[in-house]
Amino acid sequence: MVINMLSRVADSLYWMSRNIERAENNARVLSVQLIHMLEAQNQEAADRDWEEIVEVCASAKDYYNLYDRLDRETLIQYLTISPFNVNSLMNSMNYARENARSTRDILPEELWEVLNAFHLDQKDWQELPNTRQHTQDYLAQVIKTSMTSQGVIESSMSRGTPYTFIKVGKWLERAEKTARILNVTCEKNRKEADIPTDHYYYWLTALQFLNGYDAYIKEHPPTMESKHVLSFLIKERTFPRSIRYCMDHVLEAVDKLEGGKISHYSEDLFQMLELIQEEITSTNIEEMDMNELMSFLDHFQDRCMTLSRMFSQTYYLIEPVHAK
Amino acid sequence: MLTNYQTGVYFDEMMKQGGEPKKHYQWFYQLVNQFTERDLMKKHETAQLNFLRQGITFTVYNHTGGTERTMPFDFVPIIIPRQDWEEIEKGMKQRMTALNNFLEDIYHDQEIVEAGVIPRELIENNPYYYNKQVSGIDIPLRNHIFLAGVDLIRDEKGQYRVLEDNLRNPSGMSYVFQNRYVMRQVYPELFFQHSIETLEHQLSELHQAVTSHLPANANPHKSPTAVLLTPGIYNSAYYDHVFLAQQMGIELVEGRDMIVKDDVVYMKTIKGLKRVDIIYRRIDDDFLDPEAFRPDSALGVPGLLRAYRKGNVSILNGIGNGVADDKAMYVYVPDMIRFYLGEDPIIPNVETYFLSDPERLDYVLDHIHELVVKNVGASGGYDMLIGPQSDESEREAFKKKIIENPHQYIAQPTIKLSRAPAYQEGRFYPCHVDLRVFVMNGEKTNVLPGGLSRVALKEGSLVVNSSQGGGGKDTWILTESGDQHA
Repeated sequence: MVINMLSRVADSLYWMSRNIERAENNARVLSVQLIHMLEAQNQEAADRDWEEIVEVCASAKDYYNLYDRLDRETLIQYLTISPFNVNSLMNSMNYARENARSTRDILPEELWEVLNAFHLDQKDWQELPNTRQHTQDYLAQVIKTSMTSQGVIESSMSRGTPYTFIKVGKWLERAEKTARILNVTCEKNRKEADIPTDHYYYWLTALQFLNGYDAYIKEHPPTMESKHVLSFLIKERTFPRSIRYCMDHVLEAVDKLEGGKISHYSEDLFQMLELIQEEITSTNIEEMDMNELMSFLDHFQDRCMTLSRMFSQTYYLIEPVHAK
Repeated sequence: MLTNYQTGVYFDEMMKQGGEPKKHYQWFYQLVNQFTERDLMKKHETAQLNFLRQGITFTVYNHTGGTERTMPFDFVPIIIPRQDWEEIEKGMKQRMTALNNFLEDIYHDQEIVEAGVIPRELIENNPYYYNKQVSGIDIPLRNHIFLAGVDLIRDEKGQYRVLEDNLRNPSGMSYVFQNRYVMRQVYPELFFQHSIETLEHQLSELHQAVTSHLPANANPHKSPTAVLLTPGIYNSAYYDHVFLAQQMGIELVEGRDMIVKDDVVYMKTIKGLKRVDIIYRRIDDDFLDPEAFRPDSALGVPGLLRAYRKGNVSILNGIGNGVADDKAMYVYVPDMIRFYLGEDPIIPNVETYFLSDPERLDYVLDHIHELVVKNVGASGGYDMLIGPQSDESEREAFKKKIIENPHQYIAQPTIKLSRAPAYQEGRFYPCHVDLRVFVMNGEKTNVLPGGLSRVALKEGSLVVNSSQGGGGKDTWILTESGDQHA
């Protein structure tokens, strides 16, 4: 087991993993939206939907810095292969590959090959006409690449330090994305509380964005109550994209990394992890109204940022200057 | 397959003038004849794809930025009979000993200068001579050359000659292993009838050579920590660095991963600082330490030279080797062999003229169309003129450069580099080849059996460098039993 892993290497593994996870999540959101779009009742509703998609997958502020208005085709381009969007799928996958490339000496060869194969095929994608079918194929390829990568990691990496950094990156990214999607959904619900629209549809979408529809429906057939959905995506301890599941696993991983001991340098990190766990378990989601939920989710996202910073400080992952 | 193959006026590695294969290529020739054209095409494609998928690439930089490229692979191996190889091996060991003596000498007593064998100004004016930084230091094993990549060519008579001694950061060793790996994957049939030297133990030999360079102040009770220092993923030889670090099981580090405290080198890990004893560096001298060399270097580690001078860390290859492998000093290597070892060179040089000599200069200006002219400080096939393949304007431009700065250039007769068949785009044709031989020096000297055969795939081209369209071939040294077989 590699104990004294280089900080730079740990940092690269962590970001490789976050970027793969980010690309997969965003690809799924976009893929779901491309289908839902076909069912939108009117143009106005459709535009509102797209606005939310930008908020989930990137930043609306950054988008409007570049473009005057929300144009569907421009947006799809922006979220998939635009070099100007730091969170575009293409950029995330490129960052993941660069990070893998700089740590090739400790990664399974197949992991590198999976990411490299995506990169090699990407050139072809860029040359294809911008049709719906090609976009969907591209999204499917992103998701498949992420899943294959995870398969390689699970089936061939020793459960040592490098593995742990990869997993922590994945869970943190996932928990944040779940919170973000729920936040956007709650916001929409609150805004449209008085409009007689189909709220069922919002919660269904949130579940689909998070690949949780099938799992949810087995637990709660066949209802779609907002409090159940929220509780499921926040607190369900067995669903691998719920906030709780992710945070439990981060704590467990850090605990293992430290050999079950709390040292002076890792004390703050442990305290924060336990505090977050406590905040999640002690909250009664089903009794909260939309405003309370939104502030809970906002608070959790702030916690994630603090945690990410503390994690980096504890293991000296502070981004060093880039050499040219 | 090779029915229309013409050896021409060149020495051919595989074929005789009459269109028959040489003795040591007979088996290979017969086996290849059993492949159908479709087999050959398909195998060729599979092999190239193999390199791309694995990301065994180098980066070529031009005005639009960098592009990752694979080195084209050619499946026709260079086969070297046992006896020829033994001669090369001896020649390499002899040359390394002399060059290492030379480096030790000029950074200490300079006996070779005192004896009048090598002009003082040639050393002192050399930009890679780091007298101020490293003279007088006693380095581990007194060994300056941990790894050399010596480029050999064969002339029209088949005589091996040394073209360049690369004593700084020779790259390409990973390709030797990858070429063999791909070759075994894609052309397993070819190995059934041949008994060739294996490469299996070579990386552990390399690792032993690294760790034998224990710095004076290393903790004798702990096994030393060795690292490979890379400039990072944008370096053109990055794959080489990854491969060697991974195979030797040493950490691959960048300059920013290390720090010098109280003249001791540490690497930054997730659990704090860890002491480093040996650095196999793949960055150039002048980027190593901004305090001692180029102050603008972001690749190096401030204070590294102080740690080196104090004997707290070993740096491989030694600092200041560039003075021994530039194109001007090259001319004196046979003299070094005579001076330090009292022997005659086993593998000769290519004849070389200094242009600082006015008589020579006139001769070269008159005969430039039949000579090769090279900048003494350049490498990688840059800033050179191949007379017979140049046009009038190129020659005039070069003449101007030479007259302005005669010390900067040397000239050599255009050697009719040997050729070997290459199979590309569905046909066999003759291409010029050379051979980079890797020599590892630690407590003992070990020559990697074979090496990297480089091939100029552009028809008629003499430039084998990968940055200029060159490719690679597997190199087979026949074992004793293999020799009898052939």
